[in-house]
Amino acid sequence: MSVSTKPPLSPNSPPDSGKTPLGQQWLGPVALLGPAGLWLVVLLVLPTLVIFEISLVPDIVPGMKVIPSGLDNYLLAFDPLYIKVIFRSLFFALGTTALCLLLGFPVAYWIAILAPSRWRNLLLMGFVLPLWTSSLLRAYAWVTILRPTGVLNTVLGSIGLPGLELIDRPSAVLIGMSYDFLPYMVLILYSSLEKLDRQLLEASADLGATPLETFWKITVPQTAPGIAAGSLLVFISSLGDFVDPELLGGTSSGTVARLIYNQFLGQSPNWGFGSALSTILILVVSVSIALLLKYGDRDTQP
Amino acid sequence: MPPTQLHFDRPNLSRRRFLQGTAAVLSGLALSGCGWTLADVRTTVKTAADVLYIYTWAGYTDRDLLDRFTAETGIRAIADVFSSNEEMLAKLQAGAGGAYSIIYPSDYMVIKMRDRNLLTELDRSKIVGLDRLYDRFQNPEYDPGDRYSVPLSWGTTGLIYNSKVLDPPPKDWDYLWENQEALYKRMTLLNDPRETIGAVLRMLGYSYNTKDPKAIERAYEKLLELKPAIASFDSDAWRSRIITGDLTVAMCYSSDANEVIPENEDLRYVLPKSGSSLWMDTLVIPASAPNPDAAYAWINFMLQPEVAAEICQRLSFATPNEAAFELLPSEVQNNVTLFPPNPALQNSESLIPLGENVTSIYDRYWTRLTSG
Repeated sequence: MSVSTKPPLSPNSPPDSGKTPLGQQWLGPVALLGPAGLWLVVLLVLPTLVIFEISLVPDIVPGMKVIPSGLDNYLLAFDPLYIKVIFRSLFFALGTTALCLLLGFPVAYWIAILAPSRWRNLLLMGFVLPLWTSSLLRAYAWVTILRPTGVLNTVLGSIGLPGLELIDRPSAVLIGMSYDFLPYMVLILYSSLEKLDRQLLEASADLGATPLETFWKITVPQTAPGIAAGSLLVFISSLGDFVDPELLGGTSSGTVARLIYNQFLGQSPNWGFGSALSTILILVVSVSIALLLKYGDRDTQP
Repeated sequence: MPPTQLHFDRPNLSRRRFLQGTAAVLSGLALSGCGWTLADVRTTVKTAADVLYIYTWAGYTDRDLLDRFTAETGIRAIADVFSSNEEMLAKLQAGAGGAYSIIYPSDYMVIKMRDRNLLTELDRSKIVGLDRLYDRFQNPEYDPGDRYSVPLSWGTTGLIYNSKVLDPPPKDWDYLWENQEALYKRMTLLNDPRETIGAVLRMLGYSYNTKDPKAIERAYEKLLELKPAIASFDSDAWRSRIITGDLTVAMCYSSDANEVIPENEDLRYVLPKSGSSLWMDTLVIPASAPNPDAAYAWINFMLQPEVAAEICQRLSFATPNEAAFELLPSEVQNNVTLFPPNPALQNSESLIPLGENVTSIYDRYWTRLTSG
């Protein structure tokens, strides 16, 4: 899923030694790609195909024969009620992505460009540290912070400010999810900003560009692949999250992830419909990856 | 794949805690029967005769209990936990439950499992002490004559509230509607369609188990009225929030209330006057049990009055065992959260499975409620 700026190597480029026997030529790639390839096929591609097959069986319950017969389950998903749920998930995911980008870019920029280099690893480590705890615990921590008599309102009260009612609303979901996924964004942006050609920044300043112009015309285009990759990772991860909406979102927090959960583990399970929803989600994610790969690359072409 | 052994150092876990188990179960949802019957249930492992795998609720067994069983019978007991009946059924149907010889389903799930031929009919000659149960538990609606299941622990669904804030205290479900403004964003209801819609049905004079779509719709509309004032639909996180005083009232299971009340003296539990749901968790032997003899040993062990009384106190759940009840100290016997007074119980009913068509009506209104 890497967003590369380099033109792909020509497949016809001649090998360094044209005399290697065919077997040896294949041995390397097979040994290197084999284990991961097998892992992908057995644990990702095959299960996805199985999900797709089940999604074609209407009203299937465990114990029934899997005989694909039509798209009924997909038509069910176009019910306005479920469309609403899918849109809510998209709203949470896009909002989280935007927040992570807004919050993550300055941090990554500071760590990569401005902070003393001997601190960098420590600072990055600090940012990844929250990932060492379970996301469930982090969601509960936000409950403790945001509840009416929680940490946030205690602090606000002690400096004479009015309290905030954030919990049980979409705002709390966005706060919790941005916190969850910010480290990914920072890590990816950091690795992208680290490679920033600083001579270009200096040249831009020498030629009379304001810092803002330099930022928009030099820094952003050069880090576009990092921005695209980071946003994509955050978007996909947050699309599947249901812990934060469930614990922080109040009464109207149904997400598509929870809807799928209910089709398998709820009181009226419908594995076929659940599989159809999963397939739709996989499609949405795949299409957004394809779009970002295409346009993310084009923007960076000179 | 034999289940991994769990240690129970913290018995005060919620009874129906779904989030934690989710990851584990979803990973277990592999489709086992690749001859292409979706999710075929069968015995997947051979276990030794002296090992018993148990599949139970979090907080229903602990180290002491398992050790005591081993000391008495010589059988090593290993317990895995689930957080909802549906999760347990899904794991079983995904073929990952073949190691278990004892499972703890609730009443309505006993019916579902029986109808799917997942249960062994119990051999009464191998069970000692069933007659020690209260009469009303010897012939339950969900399993007449206890043919497939042995009642283990029971409870109710009701309201836990902060008695310092709510004066006069709530007596019935309609209190929530009447005091909507005062309770604004300070109340939670269970995240469970049958329980929550059912409570409203009961309040409106219908049965928890009504199949009438009109009645279900009325209950939905009533809930919609209350929705702006509800903080969230939540079966778990209410615990810490009501202890700290951020919530004033929460709909919950009596067993959970009983665990939470010692942490804040102002909290009380009430069984609503118009009635509520009664639930029973049971012991069953699945049809795929690899070690039924050890399973009977466990059932007989749990039916011993001393054992039942001990876990009733230590793990805080109400025993249906009359002989065990008589062994309890009087402060436990008089605990109205665990053993509510009879009049309120008379209006209560058990949830029974309503069939796919009706359940999906409930589910649909629930999705509308939680997604609108």
